[in-house]
Amino acid sequence: MATSILFMHILNGLAYGMLLFMIAAGLSIIFGLMNIVNLAHGAFYLGGVYIAYSLVQQNLGFWLAMIASIVLVAGLGVLMERFLLERVYGKELEQVLLTFGLSFIFADLVKWIWGTSPLALPVPSSLDVSLDMGGTMFPAYRLFVILVGCLLAVLLWYMENKTRIGAIIRAGVDDRQMLSALGINIKVVFTSIFAVGAALAGLSGVLGGPIMGMYVGIDSEILVSSLVIVVVGGLGTWKGAFIGAILVGLVDTLGRVWFPSLTMAMVFVIMIIVLLIKPNGLFGRGAHA
Amino acid sequence: MSLLKVEHLSKSFKGLQVLRDVSLEVREGERHVIIGPNGAGKTTLFNCMTGTLPINEGKVVVNGQQISGLPAYTAVRMGMSRTFQKNNLFGELSVEENIHLAVTACKPYRFHFLKPASKYAEMLAETQELLAQWGLWERRSRIVSELSYGEQRLLEVILALASKPNILLLDEPTSGMSPAETVQTTMLIQSMPRSITLLVIEHDMEVVFSIADRITVLHHGEVFLSGSPDEISGDARVKEIYFGGGTLKHA
Amino acid sequence: MRANIWRTPTLFIAILLLLPLILTNYGVKLTSEVLIMAIFVMSLGLIIGFAGLVSLGHAAFFGLGAYVVALLGTHLDNTYVLIIAAAVISGIVAFVSGLLFIRSSGAYFLMITLAFGQMLFAIFYKMESVTGGADGMAVSASLNLGFGAIESRVGFYYLVTIAFLVSYYLLRVFISSPLGKGVRGIKENESRMTALGYNIRHYKLIVYSLSGMLAGFAGALYAYFNQYVSPDLLHWMFSGQALIMVIVGGVGTLVGPAIGAGFFVILQSYISSYTDRWPMIMGVIFVAIVLYGRGGILQIAMLLWNKLRPKRHKEEETPILPKEGNGFESVKG
Repeated sequence: MATSILFMHILNGLAYGMLLFMIAAGLSIIFGLMNIVNLAHGAFYLGGVYIAYSLVQQNLGFWLAMIASIVLVAGLGVLMERFLLERVYGKELEQVLLTFGLSFIFADLVKWIWGTSPLALPVPSSLDVSLDMGGTMFPAYRLFVILVGCLLAVLLWYMENKTRIGAIIRAGVDDRQMLSALGINIKVVFTSIFAVGAALAGLSGVLGGPIMGMYVGIDSEILVSSLVIVVVGGLGTWKGAFIGAILVGLVDTLGRVWFPSLTMAMVFVIMIIVLLIKPNGLFGRGAHA
Repeated sequence: MSLLKVEHLSKSFKGLQVLRDVSLEVREGERHVIIGPNGAGKTTLFNCMTGTLPINEGKVVVNGQQISGLPAYTAVRMGMSRTFQKNNLFGELSVEENIHLAVTACKPYRFHFLKPASKYAEMLAETQELLAQWGLWERRSRIVSELSYGEQRLLEVILALASKPNILLLDEPTSGMSPAETVQTTMLIQSMPRSITLLVIEHDMEVVFSIADRITVLHHGEVFLSGSPDEISGDARVKEIYFGGGTLKHA
Repeated sequence: MRANIWRTPTLFIAILLLLPLILTNYGVKLTSEVLIMAIFVMSLGLIIGFAGLVSLGHAAFFGLGAYVVALLGTHLDNTYVLIIAAAVISGIVAFVSGLLFIRSSGAYFLMITLAFGQMLFAIFYKMESVTGGADGMAVSASLNLGFGAIESRVGFYYLVTIAFLVSYYLLRVFISSPLGKGVRGIKENESRMTALGYNIRHYKLIVYSLSGMLAGFAGALYAYFNQYVSPDLLHWMFSGQALIMVIVGGVGTLVGPAIGAGFFVILQSYISSYTDRWPMIMGVIFVAIVLYGRGGILQIAMLLWNKLRPKRHKEEETPILPKEGNGFESVKG
């Protein structure tokens, strides 16, 4: 294969990885801090892209639609956490079932409102160009997604390591009981983290719309990949989610090119290898075994 | 002859040294008590000896076989079983079912799955014997979480005895007990046959001196002193570290 | 006393055997489906309720069993061989995968089984040349136990009934066996089991493999029942549905999951004939069960039963001691 084509596949893989990172980061922190495997997290992605689609149809413009959509999805996350999840904290099985049920409801709601035929969110006109990258043309939008992902990673890394809220989260992932001992209002922390996680997934949805397309079922595909990332990267760490997402994004994209029938299997093989070598994930802090 | 040997055992958690170069020998039939202030590493020592926690250095030899480095479940097969400082029982099961599990643990039929457990006469007989011997026969069908604390504490010991160990590690058998229950438990320990070698962690000095043949003082994760009860009670430094200058009462 | 023990099962068996006399053709078909699902859901209930292993990838074994019949069935048409192959292959896959992730627990186990199930799903979905991909494939093997092909719905019903009763009986024996008791003990208290000398990984692995085998067996029956298999049978949504059936019926019992399966299959067929919004209704049921129906419908039925029969009311279980920890330990797994 020509290097230039390989290079393009790698860029595509990175773009996909960044989209996954945005979802997995929220999933991982929510899991690490609140011990919730949020199976409805894919629904935030779905919500993000479909709401943005409708707003774009209303001539709101891509960027405004994106912001509005993210705010709405974050609001949805807050409602979910406040009124439903809060009632089952500490009960692992109940949480899983609750979020699983919600993912059914959301997915069907989307089907109901927007129908089942695949839709596409148009690429924002300002980025609808291809850049010449050493002889190969590459869509500027995908580079933009990679850039956003990287900026987000830096931002989250900064928050995690240099700010008070980051310190609280790190402490909470290591030892949840410590939070209350420190006199921190856990409720507020939990709700905010959940909202941020939802917003990130919504952002991923909006940004992913022009690349991945929109169809019911993409939520579970994305969710499963994100769960693999959480397992690979280690729970409760943004760094783990970032590295894991890039790994999964690349393997998945290159796998589609080289071994189309074994893509998911290859992603899974990575997970097994990581689990065998580091049972807590690459950057895992908490012990689970 | 030493039945149980701990040689130069060290253990640290995330850079914090909990046990340092601990060596210990327990002779056959001996009743050896480990004392030491809170945080001295007594329970960690038990956890390291039984393989519940991996050790950093040193080794543990039980009945002539090295046990350190082996998974925790092998301890019982080598004849060493233990109790826990905090009751660690099957709270939702009945007393009888708890003992069934303990009795079955090392039996060849533990993996059988084509016949109900209630058809294994040997297991039933052993359970019955333990229940009768330790005075829990009347309570056999009670759910364990309904038992009194003292009874649960007793069951803790029974479960450890069910595998017929020749070395028994008791982790604060009287902790949390009323004075009456403490006396009863002390008598139970004293009445155990000498074929069972005992290694006991205990805080209550009356209990310590009424059961111990030999005492080891653990302090800051190190063996401070090991000797007969008279040697320990007469040692001024032990009084200093352990009792802050108070007197050691000899029961 | 002894007569009492046998009364309920005998009655139940009698009802199962007589049911085709009063049911319509559709009813017989639906009940067959219920019984197949019941076997599958019982296999999941076994690992959840008795071993504490919550899997969200169990449909993979069911689907695998179904595909074994569909794929191998094109080459050899022997019902015994196919069904046994389905169970054995599913069991082996469960065993090998279990070797890798049985040491995880709680939410980690759930995520890993989910990912594993999705991997198998993706393989069957993508291998179009062999499996027909998303379109699935028809099952060509005929059902023949050596005395003529079973083609009638009623004939199939009786076969499934026997399969269900035998599965139930074997599970019953299993959970009361020394191995089954050990598994239950592990769910109750892993650290004590280890201290007693149990190798808990072996136990979990055995029960997980057996459960996978039973799920594969149910899948094989389903292939004969439906005469068509598709990757959806391995999908995690299906695993999730099975999980909710376990919960609806009641965790920690053997009958519960079977009842949950019946409740759901019948409800689904009923609601689907009126509306396309079944997924949403199912989602709402999930949420409602979690928030209001702890212990499942069996529990609710038992409560009602106890109210009606006050003398059987069980002594309230009040733990004398406060439970250790604050619940997070058990959650962290």
